[in-house]
Amino acid sequence: MPDIRPFCMPKWGIEMTEGTLAEWMVAEGETFSKGQLLCLIETAKITNEVEAEYDAVLARVLVPAGGAEQPVGALLAVTAAPGTDAAEIDAFIAAFKPADTSVAARGGSSDAAPAPAAAAAAPVTNAPRKIETNRPISPEALKFAEDNGVDIDPIVGSGRGGRITLQDVHQAARYPANPALTGTLSVEAEDRAVFASPLARRIAAQHGISLSGVKGTGPRGRISKADVLALVPAPASAAPAAFGAPFVAVANTPTVTRFDSVRKVVAQRLTEAKQTIPHFYLRMSANVDKLMELRKTANLVLGCKASLNDYVVMASARALAQHRDVNVQVHGQEIHSFPHADISIAVASPKGLVTPVVRQADRMRIDQIASATSALIEKAKSGRLGMDDMAGGSFSISNLGMFGIEDFDAIINPPQGAILAVGTITREAVEDGEGFAFESRMRFTLSVDHRAIDGAGGAQFLATLKSLLENPETLFA
Amino acid sequence: MSKMMYRAAVLSTIMEEMERDPNVVVLGEDVVGGMGTAGGPEAIGGIWSTSTGLYDKFGPTRVIDTPISESAIVGAAGGLALAGKRPIAELMFADFIGVSLDQIWNQLAKFRYMFGGKTKCPAVIRMAYGAGYNAAAQHSQSVHQILTGMPGLKVVMPTTPADVKGLLRTAIRDDDPVIFLEHKALYAVQGEVPDDPDFMIPFGHARLSRAGGDVTIISSGLLLGMCEAVADKLAAEGIGCDVIDLRTTSPLDEETILDSVEVTGRVVVVDEAPPRCGLGADLCALVAEKAFSSLKAPPLQVTPPHTPIPFARELESNYLPSVDKIEAAVRRVLSYR
Repeated sequence: MPDIRPFCMPKWGIEMTEGTLAEWMVAEGETFSKGQLLCLIETAKITNEVEAEYDAVLARVLVPAGGAEQPVGALLAVTAAPGTDAAEIDAFIAAFKPADTSVAARGGSSDAAPAPAAAAAAPVTNAPRKIETNRPISPEALKFAEDNGVDIDPIVGSGRGGRITLQDVHQAARYPANPALTGTLSVEAEDRAVFASPLARRIAAQHGISLSGVKGTGPRGRISKADVLALVPAPASAAPAAFGAPFVAVANTPTVTRFDSVRKVVAQRLTEAKQTIPHFYLRMSANVDKLMELRKTANLVLGCKASLNDYVVMASARALAQHRDVNVQVHGQEIHSFPHADISIAVASPKGLVTPVVRQADRMRIDQIASATSALIEKAKSGRLGMDDMAGGSFSISNLGMFGIEDFDAIINPPQGAILAVGTITREAVEDGEGFAFESRMRFTLSVDHRAIDGAGGAQFLATLKSLLENPETLFA
Repeated sequence: MSKMMYRAAVLSTIMEEMERDPNVVVLGEDVVGGMGTAGGPEAIGGIWSTSTGLYDKFGPTRVIDTPISESAIVGAAGGLALAGKRPIAELMFADFIGVSLDQIWNQLAKFRYMFGGKTKCPAVIRMAYGAGYNAAAQHSQSVHQILTGMPGLKVVMPTTPADVKGLLRTAIRDDDPVIFLEHKALYAVQGEVPDDPDFMIPFGHARLSRAGGDVTIISSGLLLGMCEAVADKLAAEGIGCDVIDLRTTSPLDEETILDSVEVTGRVVVVDEAPPRCGLGADLCALVAEKAFSSLKAPPLQVTPPHTPIPFARELESNYLPSVDKIEAAVRRVLSYR
């Protein structure tokens, strides 16, 4: 069968499974030459021109223009040398087996469908044919070459001993690469005073950034690309973004601060407390209208500046003296219960949380408590607290009311057995006869170490505290 | 800056460091060189002229001719280093490393680790490597392939006289064993060298000798010049190549390689050692693992074949990577489709 060749539906791109013959540019029986436009084929994506790859006659058209979609590999026409017998062509058509398109789909070209211009130079895969060769070639490569009619003669095998691999055949079957080139770039001279990666130096030069004094985060302290990019001024930050302008992310590099000695202690003690102490929480609120009235009068009479917190310290201390089961420290398997209340007050100092102690607050008058707390707070703020000021304590009070915090749960300050978290004062509506009235309420959460103190003990302490705060004259008894 | 040869950069750096630090000592076969010759002991200064004049200046306690025993040279260097000296041992040919491998691999490289960091081993082992001299299979090899794979060693492969200066000084002052590989064919290469007596180049800091956005070519040593020639040739066609001189293969400047490949997407590694389990394979694996999404073509190695180095001139030149082979590889990664 001299020179009878099939013309099949080509496969352009991995996604192409079928195509439509839009138009034959050569009529049946007409002679065509290599490079001549043979037909137009439509796919789901494009309409592409198909050029002849050899000289022949379009002997038989099997799929007319405008017909149904044909699968990849379907026989569209048969070409032959001029004067080929029609019977031979019939025999060829009868014997023709379409290519195994599953192989083409599995190992086929992953290029996007080529633009019509590129198709001119395309080695579009030909019809399947048997390849007889003694060259070393992998079975899968040979199968692909046969199925897709890839000419293996010009291929230089990249495998061991020049063996042709599947990748080699894939490459030969594809359109020639036409890479978009970037070209050369400038090499920034190494500055011996600055230890920076080549790319970091280039970016710095592009943006006119001086790298001297920049701290590198790369290997062995070298300045990396990321270090320089962090210094590149963000274009978006110069002016407020206009409406419709896209969001541009800017560098968001953390400032790293190592724990100082205060924070180390806080971190270690509170982690230990929260992890090892079985906390439970009791919540309560108290009407402080009377207390607020009394405070003004008492401050005038006593000539002091006692805060509401001082009254909370005082009331807690008195309540603790009555409920010694809450005025405790926990040491291993022992509960140390104290007759007098040493109250640690949580103070936010410039260096972090500190807890100086008001000693035997249950025995103090309100003016004594006020002067003790103000002295401790003053020392804390100026960083002059000594060990004597901080050591011990049988109970803690933490007040975040001044920040408007309504209530919160504090972590016990070991070895103490409980801590009182004090919230802000809110005006709340309460039932009053037929109608309602507003009153000032302060909220408390007592965090309790259940190893030493039971729920009932904590609740009784809170009830006493509430009673003292709501009847503040008893504090002066 | 002053102009000097690669070998002069080696010699002057050793000289300067010996003057600076009395603990620096040199030992090796024929490092004095002229013993028993008419010219006197200091007449020659090693077969590579990298120790000429050292004996004259520093005497027999600091410049030591050894017996022909690489095991003894490297072993002695290890002992000196443990005892507080900073020995610079010279192996005449890198190929001879085989007989001192226990000293290097099992002793020097592991002292600091096995003694829990309580000791250090600041030894430098210099050796001449590389093919191109019809020196046949036992005197032409590139041994960085074996040594780079040994944890505990630092491996340096300088390309220019300036890098010799900066890297050898870093090697001598470094507290770990450093393998310093000098290419025989580079000894006579001239280059500008900084005069600063403290000029040092940190390890793990690659040099970008050409910059371009299309292909990354990675090499070190003699072949880097060929890579530069290819890059310069292709620049005329608008093809831009990043040419990376690794300087040290251990520690490896991964960052510079990956930064480059993320832009170019194409890599050609050029190495003088055979292709299996070597630097080329290592770097191809690196980019395949860590820059896969950037790759536009499979990484390629340009190396000699997996055979001993042939003696015949024609075979040897055909064996080694060449400008043509590197150019073909660059074009091949560019034409991948």
